[in-house]
This record gives sequence, C-alpha cells and structure tokens, in this order.
Amino acid sequence: MAMPKLAHTPAAQDKLRSLGILALNGMFDEMDAVGVLRYAVSDVLPGDLAIVSSFGADSAVLLHLVAQVDPSMPVYFLQTGKHFTETLDYVETLKKHLGLINVHAIHPSPDDVKRFDPTGNLWETDPDSCCHIRKTEPLEPITEQYGGWVTGRKRFQTRERGVLPHFELTSDDRIKVNPLAYFTDADVNQYKIDHGLPEHPLFGKGYKSIGCAPCTSVVAEGEDPRAGRWRGLNKKECGIHFDFNGAIASPMTAATKPTLWKDGGFIADPFHEWTEADEPATASYKHVPLPVFLANRDAFLVTQHPLGLLVVPGDNIEQVEADLGRFVSVAIKFPAFSDGRGYSTARLLSERYHYANEIRAIGDILQDQIPLMRRCGFNAFVVTHEPTREALIENRLPEVALFYQPVGTTEIPVGTRPFLRRVL
Amino acid sequence: MYRYDEFDAAFVMGRTAQFADQVKRRLSGEMTEEQFRPLRLMNGLYLQLHAYMLRIAVPYGTLSGKQMRMFAHIARTYDRGYGHFTTRQNIQFNWPRLKDIPAILEELASVEMHAIQTSGNCIRNVTADHFAGAAADEIIDPRPIAEILRQWSSLHPEFSYLPRKFKIAVTGAPNDRAAIRFHDIGLQAATNAAGDIGWEVWVGGGLGRTPMIGKLINSYVPNEHLLAYLESIMRVYNRYGRRDNKYKARIKILVHEEGLETIKGQVEAEFAEVRGGVLTLPAEEVDRITAYFAPPAFKTQPATKIDVAYQSIIDPAYGRWLDHNINSHREPGYVSVTISLKPVGGAPGDATDKQMDDIADIAERYGFDELRVTHEQNLVLPHVAISDLRAVYEALVATGFADGNTGLITDMICCPGLDFCALANARSIPLAQEISRKFAEPKRQAEIGELKIKISGCINACGHHHVGHIGILGVEKKGGELYQITLGGDATEQAAVGKIIGPGFEAEHVPGAIETLVDTYIARRESADETFIQAYRRLGEAPFKEALYGNA
Repeated sequence: MAMPKLAHTPAAQDKLRSLGILALNGMFDEMDAVGVLRYAVSDVLPGDLAIVSSFGADSAVLLHLVAQVDPSMPVYFLQTGKHFTETLDYVETLKKHLGLINVHAIHPSPDDVKRFDPTGNLWETDPDSCCHIRKTEPLEPITEQYGGWVTGRKRFQTRERGVLPHFELTSDDRIKVNPLAYFTDADVNQYKIDHGLPEHPLFGKGYKSIGCAPCTSVVAEGEDPRAGRWRGLNKKECGIHFDFNGAIASPMTAATKPTLWKDGGFIADPFHEWTEADEPATASYKHVPLPVFLANRDAFLVTQHPLGLLVVPGDNIEQVEADLGRFVSVAIKFPAFSDGRGYSTARLLSERYHYANEIRAIGDILQDQIPLMRRCGFNAFVVTHEPTREALIENRLPEVALFYQPVGTTEIPVGTRPFLRRVL
Repeated sequence: MYRYDEFDAAFVMGRTAQFADQVKRRLSGEMTEEQFRPLRLMNGLYLQLHAYMLRIAVPYGTLSGKQMRMFAHIARTYDRGYGHFTTRQNIQFNWPRLKDIPAILEELASVEMHAIQTSGNCIRNVTADHFAGAAADEIIDPRPIAEILRQWSSLHPEFSYLPRKFKIAVTGAPNDRAAIRFHDIGLQAATNAAGDIGWEVWVGGGLGRTPMIGKLINSYVPNEHLLAYLESIMRVYNRYGRRDNKYKARIKILVHEEGLETIKGQVEAEFAEVRGGVLTLPAEEVDRITAYFAPPAFKTQPATKIDVAYQSIIDPAYGRWLDHNINSHREPGYVSVTISLKPVGGAPGDATDKQMDDIADIAERYGFDELRVTHEQNLVLPHVAISDLRAVYEALVATGFADGNTGLITDMICCPGLDFCALANARSIPLAQEISRKFAEPKRQAEIGELKIKISGCINACGHHHVGHIGILGVEKKGGELYQITLGGDATEQAAVGKIIGPGFEAEHVPGAIETLVDTYIARRESADETFIQAYRRLGEAPFKEALYGNA
C-alpha cells in the first residue's frame, strides 16, 4: 500500500496526510516491530529512510531490526565529542556484531563549538544550547536528505512519549517510524536476551539511558530510565526528537532557527526568559527583570552564574548602575516598535555607564529600526519577523550611513564639520 | 541661504533611496500598512481621506526661486496642479500616487529639499520668523541656529520614536512672529549681562485638544550649550512622556502634569551630565553656518520712503497693499513684502503651479532669489527694494495674489478640513471662503483693521483656532457640523488661548455671527487705532456674548 494520493488544497492535504498516517498506524500489531520497519523500508519510503542511533543502552535492539531488514540502511551516529569512551567502543562492537555496513559519524561544526562552547562547559550552564550545537545543528543538513527516519523511541520512556505511534508525520512532511513504540523496558531486555545482543559496557553499571557523558547519570532502581539524562534540569528531550505530529513542533522550529543576531550572524541563543519558577541562587543564562533583580539583589550578586538583565519601558536603568558589571547581557524590550524609550536606555548604558557587554533588543523590531538601534549602542537583536531576518542575512538593511549628530561610542567623524559621523 | 555640501547631498540621497526601498516593499505587500505607517510618516507621507498626502519641509520657511519652481513642477507632474502651504512653513500635495513618491523625493533632492520628519513622532521641521534676516526689530537672524537644529534633529536615532510629534520654533526678534509659545520648544533670542546673544528656552506650549502656553524653562542658554540642553529636554521627554494615551503624549502634558519645576530638575540633571560634551557647539561652526545666511548685496537705494497716503489716492488697491503687506526692513531702501495667499473666495494657502512659477520669477527678478513661507499660510519676499514695489505689485496682480489684506479679517488661517482630512469633523475651507466673501469689500476690511480669524475643522487645531482673535472650531454634533467660536486668542509674545464664547453655530450662520462680533467691536472701540484684540482685552467677553446670544 502506498501513501494515499494527496489533494492540492492545503487543508485537504493536511487531512489526507493525517488519515494516511492513521491508516498506517492501524496496520500493525503493537509488537510487530519487524513488520513496521519492513513495510516502511519497502512500501512507505523505499531508499529514503535512515536512522540516527545514539549507540546507547537500548540501541542494539533497533539496530538488530535494521540489520534484519536492510543492513545497508544509513545509520548516523552523533559524535558530539562528549561521549563516554565506552560508547565509542560499543559503536564498533555493534557494527561488527550486526553486520551494519553504512554507519556514519556526524560531528558538530568546529566554528560553532569554538564560538559557543570554547571552554567545553556549555553543557553545564546551558544544556539546551549544548544539545543544539552538538546534535540539532549537525543533524539538520542530514535530515533534509531523507523522507523519513527510524527512531528507537518507546512509549514507556517518558511521559512526553506516552502516546507515541508507529508512524508519525512531522510538520515538515517527513515520516518518523517508531518500530519499538510499544516496547516496554522488559520487552527490550527480553529481546536482547532472545537475540544474544551485546550490552553497552555501562549498562551493567546502572546507566539505563545513555547519552553524552556529562549529562548522563546512573538511574536508581524504579526510576524513570531516562531520569539519568540531564538530571536536575527541566529537560527531557535533546531537541532532535521534538515534533510529535507537530504537537511539540515549536521547540524544534525554534531550535533549528536561531533568532539571536549578533556579530553579523544568527546564532544559538544561550539565554532564556526568566520565569516564576526561577530562583536567584540557581538562575543561569536568564534575563532577570530589573525589579526582580532589585528585590533579590544580594542573592544574585553572590552567585557566579552568567546572568542577564531585562529592561522594559518604564524601568530606570539608573537603579542598577552599580551592578551592571554583574550582567553579561542586557535585554531591552520593545513591546511595540513605536515605543522609543529603549533607545535612551541603550545610550545611557553604552555612553554614560560604559557598559561594554551585550545590549540586545527584544520584542517588536523592524529592519528599519535596527540601524537606529545600533547607533544607540545595541549590538544584538532577537528577531522573529521573517522579512527582517532575511534583510539581516542578506545585509540589506535600509540605512542612511551618514549621520548629522554624534551618537554612540563607535561612530567616527567625517569631514571637518564638528558633528558629522559615519559608521565605523 | 544654506547650501548643501557633499555630505548633505549624500545624506538626502541616502534617505531617498531608503524610502524608495520601503515604498517598494509596501507596494509588493512585503510590508503591511501598519508597518509602513511610521516609516512613511517619517518621510512626510500621510494617508488622507482620498489619497496619500505628501508634506515637504521648507526648513525654517526659507526657499529659493528654483525650489519654488520645483514645487510647481511637482504640482503639475504628479499632482492636480496645485499645492497647499501650511502653518508649519511646509507645502503639502494632496493627490500624489504612492508609486510616484520615490521619483518626487528624488526630484526634490536635486534642489536640496526633502520630506524628512515632516510627520511622525519625531522632531519636525524647525520653524522660524518669516522675516528672519530682514526684520528691523531683529536681535539676531534665527536661521543659522534653526539650520543647526535641523541637522542635529535629522534622523536622530534616539528621538525617532518619541511619545508624540515634537515641534521647535525659533525667533530672533522680540516681536514673536513664529508663535514660539505654542510650540513644544520655543527659542527666543536673549542677551545676557555680558551682552552675548543666547536663547530663552520655552517648553510645553501647544495647541491641539489641550492648548497650553509654553513655560520658560531656562532664561539663557548660550549657543555653545544649546544642543546639549535641547538633547537633555528630548531625553527627559522620550523617557518620561506619556505613551498610554496619544492625546496626552505631547510634552505640554508632561510639563503640565509633573510641573515645570520637576521637569526642569530632570532636564538640569541630564544637562549636568552632557554639558560640555560632544554636543558642545563650536563658535566656528555657528560662524560657518551663519555665513550661508549673509545678507544679500544690498545697494544704496534712490527711494527710502513710501508715501502710502499719496499712492492710496492714485490707486487705492495698491495703497491698501502698501499699507498692509509691507514690513519694515533693517536695510534702508528695502522692505519685506507679504504675498497674500488669501484672495477673496480662495482656499487659504493654496497656489497653482502657474502661480508658483510666477512667484519664483518675481523672487528672482526683484527679491534676491529668496522666498519665505509664513506660519499664517502666506509667502514673503524678504528683501525688495522700495523702488521696485510697484513692479512687484503689478506682477503679483497678474498672479492673482495681490490682495492687500495681510493681517486683516480675510487673511485667515484655515486647515484643510473635511474636504481633505481624515481627522476632520467639519469643513473649514468653504467656511473661510464664505467669510472672505462676506468681508470682501476692501474698505470694510481696512476699517476693521487687524483681526486674525483662524479656523480648524476639528479639535486637533491645525488651523490654530485657539490663538485666533476670533477662533472657529468645527465639531460634529448630532450628525451635523457645528462651529464653536472662541475669542481673545493670541499667538504672539502676548500669548493667550481663546475662550469659547457660547453655543456653536451652524455653518450658514457663522459669517453672520462673525459680522455681529465685528460690528460690536467697531461700535465699542475707543478709536480706529484700538484693534479688535485690544478692545476685547479691555471690554471682556460680555458685550460680544450679549451681541451674539442676547441678554438671556
């Protein structure tokens, strides 16, 4: 059975696509993992299917299925640079044992690592961004090459995966195949035993779900097997598995499209919004609202975590003049592009207080305002407006590059008139 | 006159190209009207009742014949053959097409003109005394400082998204012809104890819904620190001006609500930080700019006096024109001539392409190639030899702008009103035309003497009705147009806001009501030398009210 033919109107297409997926999901017995995979390879996406494997504690089961159905299916391994050496050994063991002939390692971009994680400690301060540069970004060009993916995710693993079907349609029209969706922990172990699969060297030492070394810890008896991943952090998925039928699609979109424009490019944003759940003692890479900072000033000043400051119209930057050294970033919010108070705030920061770290504009920002913002001292912009993104990327900001008035700290005089300036 | 150097030219070309790109993005649909709005406004482009309206800046009201010809060309080529001179010394075209705007701006740039910041919530075109550089009573020519302010405020990155629009006016004379006390900031030349000329700074004046007379925030700021001081005011306004209600967002409300002393304290604190910094204005720069405004090459003139009485006998119309449209000049043998754009039955401030071309001719031939736009919607030839007056008059007769009615009852300020403006509640031009027909008789006008009628078609007060000796405000009542009459307003150094005299009138009854007020004045004045406003101040509103509404 091929996928149903799709109609041409978008709404009808959506409906048909989901109906097609529904039909697929009704075709197989819950435990018929081989049947699911074989059908995917032969009928749904012949030659257009690949698998990303972590070569973790449970990976052998899925790879064993792949080896039965098509040992030449491309298998990608995210060589994040942060794996246990035991994992790297295990890759070789499984390749040999299962006869997989098409295994590739994917590496993060050296430029990204240099820029965002020069010390190698990003996992500690901002695991989302670490996953982003080491997993999501490197994988993106690979995923684009295939119509679908085989994953080893299982319903029992976390609450987020509780409704996982055999076949999923992603928001960018790709198909995810989850042959093990209905497998339980016991099923996995039984399968390993039944087929004599080699164990990950760390499995016997209490590691139940194995990812990168720094973010993996031992799971106690009775604990959620993935509880050892990103322990202590409000993080369940690494980013590459998001997008359940679009249900958790937005984090994926956000993660694949960096919105922070800085130093001439869009980059992954290590910062997050301050939420009510955040605590001064543990907050890290958060833009703390100015009143919150003032109310908890001492608590914020004793910690060492990288902190930002959020300034909204009406806030008086004067109140934190003495503490500006505490912040690696100041976010100035523009709730509406017509509210120009932030321009004065930025000038005070850069010109009067000589604040030299990041001053970012967030909120309602149009490309036509960015040149003015730059003059006032902004050096970073969080941009979601698509035409503005394009204009930044294509470097065609509508700018008058000659200025009649001396503003800012970087403009240079031009000609002999006292106040004329141009961009550095 | 100021001449662009390479920098100025490149700046305006850069801005023109920028706006051309924005227009392109709007036309292609890449930008929504909402996103386009603040951008087009900062380039003087409004969306009016029927079409876009383009407002072009005439910096401090000064322009050359060549620039006037460009207006004629634009009127002819891109509009319906006329333009409208405004109370802010600008010109408006009411019918351009959006796709033509980039071409119009390019043509303007070729004569060193632009539409930058003629609208939007930014610092608008800086206005000045229309007799600047000519008036006999002048302490200093205000135009060099106005030009310096124009440059400093052009695309100022910090002050492009203010709470509301911001208007600055400058006068160098004690007789205020620039209405500086009704501007967000008004500057009046002042002399300190050492005899140096600096500036009185007035802040928080304005008309609109809530008319306020400006308050003196600093009685002497030297040239050197003027930009730093103004930047301090602007920063205080940008940070603390109200943004929750556009009708309360002007600096006049901030000053009113916070009190002058509070604002003054904030401005002084800010000024203490920036004073002596990068905005310190070197005397050489003031001198350099002042050189552009050097007086023309005046010659010793054969005639230094005008015998108005004699001319009035020979040619009464010419006599009236001499009597009312001539202003004394600092140079013997010269005068300034007001070209009245208020012919009886005409739309105040309108001129056709042909008229604009003719006026450019006259300026080039008799007026050292210089023209001014006045905030009362007339034009001025600032430097005319007395011996050329007759020739100038005859040339003006040929254009249809030779009415000797400057300052008289038919020299009305009038907003475009409901015929053009999307904001208006009532028509104003047709009413102005009716009133001018009623008082068309020149002898009657002369008998009434100085009387300023100002008409606004809505409470936004573009027609300055608050400062009319007689102000007329069009409002919408019960689906019809009704006109409220105010008395006693004054835009000069004796600044006053007019008071509503009583219930409004329907349009057809307004000219009659004005006539009643005028008759009351003539009956009650002490002599022909006591003007309407003087009589009103002496008499109060009672006799006028009684005449209009009876004794009830």
